Amino acid sequence: MFKMLNPRRFYYAVGRRKFLEFILLAVFILFFYGPLLNMLMLAFANQYEVPNILPTEWGFDWWKYVFGQESLVSSMIQSFIVAIATTVISMIFCIPAAYSIARFKFRGRKIFMLSFLLTNAFPKIGIYTSIAVLFYKYGLMGTYAGVIIIHMINSMMFMVWLPASAFRNVHRQQEEAARDVGAGPIRTFFKVTLPMAMPGIAVATLYTFLGSMEEAQGTMLVGLARIQTMPVAMYGIVLDSSAVQIGAVFAILLIIPSAVLIFLMRKFIGPEAIAGGFKMN
Amino acid sequence: MHEIIVHSVPGKYKQRKGRKEMSKSLKQNLVVYGMVMPAFLVVMLTVAYPIVSAVIQSFQDSATGAFTLDNYMYFFTDEAQKSNLAYTLYIVIVTVVVAIVVAYLLALYLRFVKSRIAKAIGMLYLLPRFVPAMCAVYAMITIIRDTGLINRIGQLFGVNINLGMMYHASGIITMNLWFNIPFAAMMIAAGLGGIPDSIIEAASDVGAGKIKIFTSMILPLSIKDVIVAATFVFMSNVSSFTTPYLMGGNSPRMLGIALYDQFNRYLEYNRSAALSVIMFLICSVSAGVYIYTNLKENDWEK
Repeated sequence: MFKMLNPRRFYYAVGRRKFLEFILLAVFILFFYGPLLNMLMLAFANQYEVPNILPTEWGFDWWKYVFGQESLVSSMIQSFIVAIATTVISMIFCIPAAYSIARFKFRGRKIFMLSFLLTNAFPKIGIYTSIAVLFYKYGLMGTYAGVIIIHMINSMMFMVWLPASAFRNVHRQQEEAARDVGAGPIRTFFKVTLPMAMPGIAVATLYTFLGSMEEAQGTMLVGLARIQTMPVAMYGIVLDSSAVQIGAVFAILLIIPSAVLIFLMRKFIGPEAIAGGFKMN
Repeated sequence: MHEIIVHSVPGKYKQRKGRKEMSKSLKQNLVVYGMVMPAFLVVMLTVAYPIVSAVIQSFQDSATGAFTLDNYMYFFTDEAQKSNLAYTLYIVIVTVVVAIVVAYLLALYLRFVKSRIAKAIGMLYLLPRFVPAMCAVYAMITIIRDTGLINRIGQLFGVNINLGMMYHASGIITMNLWFNIPFAAMMIAAGLGGIPDSIIEAASDVGAGKIKIFTSMILPLSIKDVIVAATFVFMSNVSSFTTPYLMGGNSPRMLGIALYDQFNRYLEYNRSAALSVIMFLICSVSAGVYIYTNLKENDWEK
């Protein structure tokens, strides 16, 4: 078994092609997962002195510390409230629009789709600052409503483009077949179209929820310290960096919702479904 | 494609069509616009209106409100701001070029190599996209900072490795690659997945070499996805905030940070509006390319 640890032996044992593939896999995992794994380790390090690669003492001390801080716990609750509200509200606004774009050709369709590209091309901070002026006028600064609107700006493009490309891939004939056997338009939509377009919608929902969970810039600006979501609290932690472990614990907590959602939606996530959110047709 | 498009634009209906059909198309139009309008209004109110008001502000003097170009001139005459601009463009261009080249190779590998390792990478490369940006940056900091993992591994072998990547362009670029390589590879892989094996086999049957197949078939068929990927990598990096905020130094700064400072620290609303417009113009170069490639119908798709 240990013979394999010698690179040269390994090379001859598996052949050049396999060897290169293993190198690729190793580099890939080290670069993309190494940092995350290191952080995971640090979250369980009670003591992590300088020359040591592994913690000198393992344990949950920093988890207790994080959950003992009332401001950090309340930021988690606020994050969830904002993320769930953002996801539901943008679905209500965007799914019907996505369906229309996919099924009907109407005047202004291209311009409508392009308007979402604006949210990506214009610097977010520029949009946020102008909105902040509006928010001051209407008393939305430091409110949930204000923060949710800011989060919706980020998600609307995906929420329209992704489901639209998913709806387009549902064949019209299948809808017509359902209509022929007597289903009404609404029932057809919920029983035929929606389930078939589910992968695209699932990915869009995932994006919206996670995008909201990690939004910090706009929340800092509009939340006015009254609404403090997890990422906003995290900025403070990272910049203070009194102990690297606090940040690690908090980052893990921030990743957990993503991990759970990805696990639940694993069968929907694929390059084709995700790429649909960046193309307009 | 499979879709059947319903032409519901009233003008297209010939006059001799009956009244019943007219009212049906009217009803359909009402439904369509009714479904689109809410989202459209939200975009207009929360995106278009703020942008328009930012553009207006950028031309106004902060004290008098009179028309002026000073807000723009500031960013092209002030030495610190000029270096911020150059620094940002440098980081963005390096990121786009390296990310796209690596991503293309990775996508080709995932498309044409069918092994267990390729399958594993094909799963693993989807996940970085879903890791919150801040967590990823923080994780990278634990590796590259002066007392980070790489330094500690170096000390194990008696060398003191100081990468100097924190507060330096190389750290930001590394992080950008972490975010953008999987994203770009995914976009390109989705495009490559659409190229059927049969046409590649057909080409090789008539004697086309690997390079010939690549340059005359695979590259032209996937170039659209490459451009889409490059556009989004470019745009997201011009105004990136999280990475330079946590990893970048004090000077020069990336434009996203400079903009945040203008607004939050110096309270220069008009200047920050002008900088937003400048960044928008930089982005719109690539957005223009994107729109052009997206709206132009590909010959082979007709």
